[in-house]
Amino acid sequence: MIEVKNLKKTFASGDTQVHAVNDISFSVADGQFASIIGRSGSGKSTLLSLLGALEKPTSGSISVGDQDITKLHDHALISYRAHKIGFVFQGYNLVPNLTALENVMLPMEFAGVPKKDRLERAKALLSRVGLSDDQQLRKPARLSGGQQQRVAIARALSNKPKLILADEPTGNLDSQTGEMIFELLHELAKTENTTIVTVTHDLSIAGKTDKTFRLNDGKLVKK
Amino acid sequence: MNVITRGIRNAFRNVIRTLSLVTILGLSIGLSLAMLLAHQAVGAKIDSVKASVGNTVSVSPAGVRGFDGGGNALTETEVAKVKTLAHVTSVTESLSDRLTTTNTNLVSAIDAGSLGQRFAGNSGQSFTPRPDTGGATGGPSSFSTGGGQSNVSFTPPVTVVGSTDPTNLSNNVGGGTFTLKSGKVFASNSTENVALLGSTLATKNNLKVGSTFTAYGQTVTVAGIFDAGNTFSNNQVIMPLVAVQTLSSQAGALTSAILNVDSVENVASVTTAASTTLGSVADVTNDSTRAQASVAPLQNIQTISLYSLIGSVIAGAVIILMTMVMIVRERRREIGVLKAIGASNVKVVGQFMSEAITLTMLSAVIGIVIGAIAGNPITKLLVNNASSGTSGGPTGGPGGGGFVRVQFGGIGRGLANIHAAVGFSIILYGLLAALLIAVVGSAVSAFFIAKVRPAEVMRAE
Ligand SMILES: Nc1ncnc2c1ncn2[C@@H]1O[C@H](COP(=O)(O)OP(=O)(O)O)[C@@H](O)[C@H]1O
Ligand SMILES: [Mg+2]
Repeated sequence: MIEVKNLKKTFASGDTQVHAVNDISFSVADGQFASIIGRSGSGKSTLLSLLGALEKPTSGSISVGDQDITKLHDHALISYRAHKIGFVFQGYNLVPNLTALENVMLPMEFAGVPKKDRLERAKALLSRVGLSDDQQLRKPARLSGGQQQRVAIARALSNKPKLILADEPTGNLDSQTGEMIFELLHELAKTENTTIVTVTHDLSIAGKTDKTFRLNDGKLVKK
Repeated sequence: MNVITRGIRNAFRNVIRTLSLVTILGLSIGLSLAMLLAHQAVGAKIDSVKASVGNTVSVSPAGVRGFDGGGNALTETEVAKVKTLAHVTSVTESLSDRLTTTNTNLVSAIDAGSLGQRFAGNSGQSFTPRPDTGGATGGPSSFSTGGGQSNVSFTPPVTVVGSTDPTNLSNNVGGGTFTLKSGKVFASNSTENVALLGSTLATKNNLKVGSTFTAYGQTVTVAGIFDAGNTFSNNQVIMPLVAVQTLSSQAGALTSAILNVDSVENVASVTTAASTTLGSVADVTNDSTRAQASVAPLQNIQTISLYSLIGSVIAGAVIILMTMVMIVRERRREIGVLKAIGASNVKVVGQFMSEAITLTMLSAVIGIVIGAIAGNPITKLLVNNASSGTSGGPTGGPGGGGFVRVQFGGIGRGLANIHAAVGFSIILYGLLAALLIAVVGSAVSAFFIAKVRPAEVMRAE
């Protein structure tokens, strides 16, 4: 269960203040697939950053499970990101000089998973997202966009997180590939009982999720 | 894969950049090491020059060096005053004099040559008038006096040294190291008419141990024959001090006294004390002032090499620092990703530090090779340039500058022997310097790494 209460994030840009996230409250149950839609600049990415503890809110609280992550110290935040969260980005954000396999093992290394388990799990995950043995040993530059995003999904799942946060994961892909990626995310989340919050501008995708939030100028608009 | 191996792998991510960085950094480390080698080699040389100079103070009659200048001889009474000074352990006294063709049958083994002839017209020396000019061979040479009328031949005089320490040639104008070839050395307090002859002088005059010759109109017995290793000293006669004083009618007179001081540290104070005690009758000098003058250029080289060492270490640090800052800026997004997927600042910094150390260690290997190859030539180059103006050749007349010349000659030879050796410690220093450079270089980039906000990965590329 994710519970967000009166969440605010204000950026100061010069003299003016930007209320990127402006007093938002909502909740998502465990295992649910929620989507966030809204125009560019409406605060979607900022909201995901707050949920993933990449950014600290100006005010408000975020409870994930029984933890209020806004009260965590830096060290605990790093551990939270490593163990509880999986990120999928629009630009894939794989480490370019590591192979697909090594990219998937990376979060496990940060989470302190034993070396042998890392390799086994990374191979299993990459097979599940559909990468052949040969593709698993390639560096990102030698994989297609869709394949890279599959690697990114495998990486996000590597530490069995409670919550996967995806920021326009299909934004750089053609609609057919995008749909496949979404189905993959959905299916994996169901089998692992992982909660997913994804940002999308594709309304057909948003329509298939359990819950949809619409943001407008940092505020939640009732649908 | 872990933080360290990832760092090592990242060091080769951009091969061209790695190659150029390693080359430049290697050069700077190599230069640092060459400078360190030069610094050490020159330092060791300075120490050995200082040590070889010894702990003696020379007392000469005011205005006299060798046979140049003028003034009055020192007296034993005067020297007795400085014998009792604190830190003076012993005193070697000597009186040198020149035998002339009128009071000895010894013939000099040295040709007059052009240098000798310059002094042929000097007063106070005896010359054999020659009835005619002619192609004389051997010692005597002929020349014309100002008027061009009368011809006289000039024979370089034979020097006799009366000494209380006959085997110590350092207070003789010729200097050198005393090696007895035959016979034996007379006692330091001997009063007999005995003599030690330089080997070439003995040969020239067909003298052997036990032979006799005439000096000051008296018969003198050859007690021994020595080799001093140089032509000037090998043409000398060494006799007991008292014998020379008596024969030359200079009772109690001395031309040189060498004060032996208990330690090098006290040389300066003894010099001052002796100078004060003797006042204007004597010139008091010590080897350490001469040594100081001769090590001054060496000390300059030491300073230069130290500054170059510091400079090249700083240059190396700046090179790796700039490169690391550049790399961190280039990989901002990647750093953000690492942080977003659970890496701590320490892990990210560790990864970059491992990369910096890899790059610097590669450079260190190249640098050590460069330093080992260039260290010796650079040291020699520095020393030769700096010392070329120092080791002045012959100064003064025949003998006047002799002592000084030999001193400088010795140090000059020493300079040529400077050798910068590459030891294990140098390699250790090199690696240590490289490590230091790498740590400094990554410390600054660590600051930039810490500043990268993980939320930046959310921003569109
Ligand atoms: N680090 C920041 N500093 C200043 N303003 C920011 C920052 N991040 C986001 N913003 C502003 O907050 C608003 C929301 O941005 P964002 O969450 O990226 O929107 P979206 O993802 O919906 O396009 C925008 O007006 C953006 O300019
Ligand atoms: Mg966005």
